[in-house]
Amino acid sequence: MKNYFQIPGEISESTGLPIWKKVDGVDLAYVGYGLVIVTLVVVSYILGSFHLLTRDPQDIDLGLMMAPPGTAGHLFGTDFMGRDMLSRLIVGIQAYFLPGLLAIFIALFFGTILGVLAGYRGGKFDTGITYFTNLVDSFPRLVLILLVIAAFKPDIYYIMLVVGLTNVPVVTSLIKGKIQFLKQKNFIEADVALGVPTRTIILKHILWHNCRSLLIIQATLGMAEAILMETSLSYLGFGVQEPTPSWGNMVQSGANYFMQGKFWPSTAPALAILFTILGFHLLGDGLNNILEDKRNT
Amino acid sequence: MTAAPTLKIEDLRTYFYSRSKQAFIRSVDGVSLEIAQGETLGVVGESGSGKSITALSVLGLISAGPGVISGKIGFKSDRIQKNLLQDLDDFVKLTTKDGKIMAVSKDVVGWERNTDRVMNKLRGKEIAMIFQNPKSSLNPFTPVGKQITEAIKLHTSIKTEQQAKERALTWLDRVKIDSPRLRFDNYPYGLSGGMCQRAMIAMALACEPSLLIADELTTGLDATIQSKIVDLLVELKSQLGITTMLISHDISIISRLSDSVAVMYGGTVFEYGPTRDLLSTGFASKHPYTSGLLASIPSEQSIREKGYLQAIEGDVLDTINIPEGCRFYGRCNQVTEKIREKCARHEPDLREIGSGHKVRCWLYFD
Amino acid sequence: MKPSAIRPIALVLSRELIITVLLLLGVSFVVFIILFASPGDPFSMLLEGQLSTAEVRTGVREAMGMPRSWTMQYLSWLAGMLTGNFGTSIRTGLPVLPEVLHVGLNTLILTTGSLIITLLIAVPIALYSAVRGTDKISWPLTMFSYVISALPIFWLGYIVIYFFTHKLGLFPLAFGFSSGGQKYRWLYQFLPIFVLGVGNGTISEVIRFLRQEMGRVMAEDYIRTARAKGASVWKHSFKEGLLIPVTEIVASKIPFILGGAVIVEQVFNWPGMGRMAWQAAQDRDYPVIMGIAILAAVFVRMGSLFQSVVYVIVNPRASKE
Repeated sequence: MKNYFQIPGEISESTGLPIWKKVDGVDLAYVGYGLVIVTLVVVSYILGSFHLLTRDPQDIDLGLMMAPPGTAGHLFGTDFMGRDMLSRLIVGIQAYFLPGLLAIFIALFFGTILGVLAGYRGGKFDTGITYFTNLVDSFPRLVLILLVIAAFKPDIYYIMLVVGLTNVPVVTSLIKGKIQFLKQKNFIEADVALGVPTRTIILKHILWHNCRSLLIIQATLGMAEAILMETSLSYLGFGVQEPTPSWGNMVQSGANYFMQGKFWPSTAPALAILFTILGFHLLGDGLNNILEDKRNT
Repeated sequence: MTAAPTLKIEDLRTYFYSRSKQAFIRSVDGVSLEIAQGETLGVVGESGSGKSITALSVLGLISAGPGVISGKIGFKSDRIQKNLLQDLDDFVKLTTKDGKIMAVSKDVVGWERNTDRVMNKLRGKEIAMIFQNPKSSLNPFTPVGKQITEAIKLHTSIKTEQQAKERALTWLDRVKIDSPRLRFDNYPYGLSGGMCQRAMIAMALACEPSLLIADELTTGLDATIQSKIVDLLVELKSQLGITTMLISHDISIISRLSDSVAVMYGGTVFEYGPTRDLLSTGFASKHPYTSGLLASIPSEQSIREKGYLQAIEGDVLDTINIPEGCRFYGRCNQVTEKIREKCARHEPDLREIGSGHKVRCWLYFD
Repeated sequence: MKPSAIRPIALVLSRELIITVLLLLGVSFVVFIILFASPGDPFSMLLEGQLSTAEVRTGVREAMGMPRSWTMQYLSWLAGMLTGNFGTSIRTGLPVLPEVLHVGLNTLILTTGSLIITLLIAVPIALYSAVRGTDKISWPLTMFSYVISALPIFWLGYIVIYFFTHKLGLFPLAFGFSSGGQKYRWLYQFLPIFVLGVGNGTISEVIRFLRQEMGRVMAEDYIRTARAKGASVWKHSFKEGLLIPVTEIVASKIPFILGGAVIVEQVFNWPGMGRMAWQAAQDRDYPVIMGIAILAAVFVRMGSLFQSVVYVIVNPRASKE
């Protein structure tokens, strides 16, 4: 029989443990990777905005078509017209970065308002907002966007407006859920009994203290989705047009070459999409596990 | 010569390793108990004393995860005899550093598979267990009757639904459920707590197990229902003579139903003996904790005399940071100067001081 | 099922049906608003398209008076739709509804097949993780599901096409049903379904949700009782831990999968409503795109309704609410 007996003695204080001991290593890895990606995206965006690139993304060099990565002067090789892949990828971020922020802002802003209304006031607000939520959820996002494109024009900002609006229900239900949780724990009742003004209850106690991690996580997932939408649409031909690069249209224009066995022009942007979306997903999930799930106590 | 006991627990230890605290939570810390055939053993203790975990350890229901078990549990019915904890050690690996256990890695799959292999022949068939919160302990998606017939078909020689149903109905009748035929098709949400508990009892006893473990049978039920369930059990006990391990924090229930009592605190047994000796007033040698418990039972008389509710001072034991010496030291109000040193430094062992009466207290040793 | 259980179930279902109808009305209104707000008054064009060309030619339209106010326009269009008249395509001049239904069926096949594939992958992984917790295999599996979910589905399509056209000699443009009786005919139909099933981006969420639900159910008291009596834990946890969560997550992911279908239909030239929608968006063929949007919403709500049905049948308490 093994002896599990341990003489009582010093036991490390749980409160003093540094975060890497308290939290699952996996989640930290997720968050770490995600932050790396976010940094790369932001830096690339800035580089792209100020044209601080080593090479001109539109510079055609027919003598050096589809060069593999590592070729002299082209860190990521070139595409089917000899244009530098790396700078095209960097500029491709322009297509989704700001619009994505718009989508995130809309989703969080309106989602919070509706969530607070539904959760705090409840009653008819709740019913109406639930109806609205189910209504928005009835549309496949891409189909709705195609409808908007047909009715208006394929403007990425219109599209991101739609993306943002279709994400409002998710944020709404999360915030509403949080408020219901707090109500159940009588926190809100206690606040009201103490005479705390409503504005403070909502802004400071509910939103800032209890919802901020939730909102950050939704922001990461929102950006992931914005990237997905933008690249899908430009792949379908509705976004940024050639020769301006967008990761989606880069994959599309490289398609023919792919079928001829020349994979790189399509694969490079596809991998960019993969690793970036992965980064935002992992960041969101990692943060969710660390901040919200409370499974580490 | 006395027959071998149905259940014999020897030095059972069930610990849970806490990674954040880097120590074991010692829920059951050296428990030894015996139940003879036909006997009802009552296990009393406060919440956190480890009594439920003891029962779960017997059935191998300690959920996977950082739980480790050592000790020996011997079970004997006329059909089976075995040590319920055999081979479990093989699945646990300790990482030590300077003699202190730093990490516990457990082959969860192997552990569970082993437990299931040993226990599945016994669960429900030889050893049956019923729990508190009967409403949530029954499957809400299946009619109550079907849950009983499922047990019957699994563990008895009855294999057809029709025959199983008849047996189930007989038992529902025996546990005094009104309109058994109607209740058979009800879902748990349609039954009251008391009726659910009766159904659970029927489900457990319909397979005629050799040992019944009842964990907080009446907690959570209304007071009037509680006493009715206890009445039922008294009657069933005299009719069937089934070996029972009854766990509760309610001393009055224990005293009505048990032949022997074990008093648990902080994961160990403090006192053990026949009920009539232990729980009746006026019997001299009792562990200070037991006396404290008995004294704190509110009764008309005691309130009239004292004017306040008696309680035991201090807080319940922290099962991680278990002190040297007696676990009750610090809350005990019967420490004398003569034994203070011993109480503070050395934990007394469980020693017999009378016929079948064992105590873990320096007061009673010379 | 007991006869006494049928009436409450019917009541709950009628309530769900009414909600579905209300939601579909809302859908039609949203679609209307978008078109109405668009520059160039396409809506009148739409209403015109609902009339037969003969009426237009003989000037009946002027005689009848085109409805002016937006409410009248909406109601007239809605009335047209309810009688099956979705207008005529600007591009082809053919009535919209039959066309859309025809391609809708193709998309339905694509979507249903892909859902089966997604579940075939996700369910075993989720159940394994729920039971075994974190162990050596679960981390690579989780990572795999994340990567698969972030993969651009169009690129995955290319890889699949390349592999099959070069290794097996399939014709790259012949996907969809219309391909004649070649040797690998079933592959032409299966591959798009496979790609959509694997690459639709929902796998990691489905796995996470199912694992969470099954994990939660495993910790319930009644599972402990089942274990204590030696009964099969799977049998007892199935309804709440698997059946209901699967219908729930499938219903909620249908919109997402329909979106993925738009892309897959593009890559594989599958004659479905996604491809038709893409074409309509390019041509600004309003009647067609509106018809597709509405049909898509109908699919989504049918999925939701199905989930409610299953829930009410399985859960004895649901009919009492």
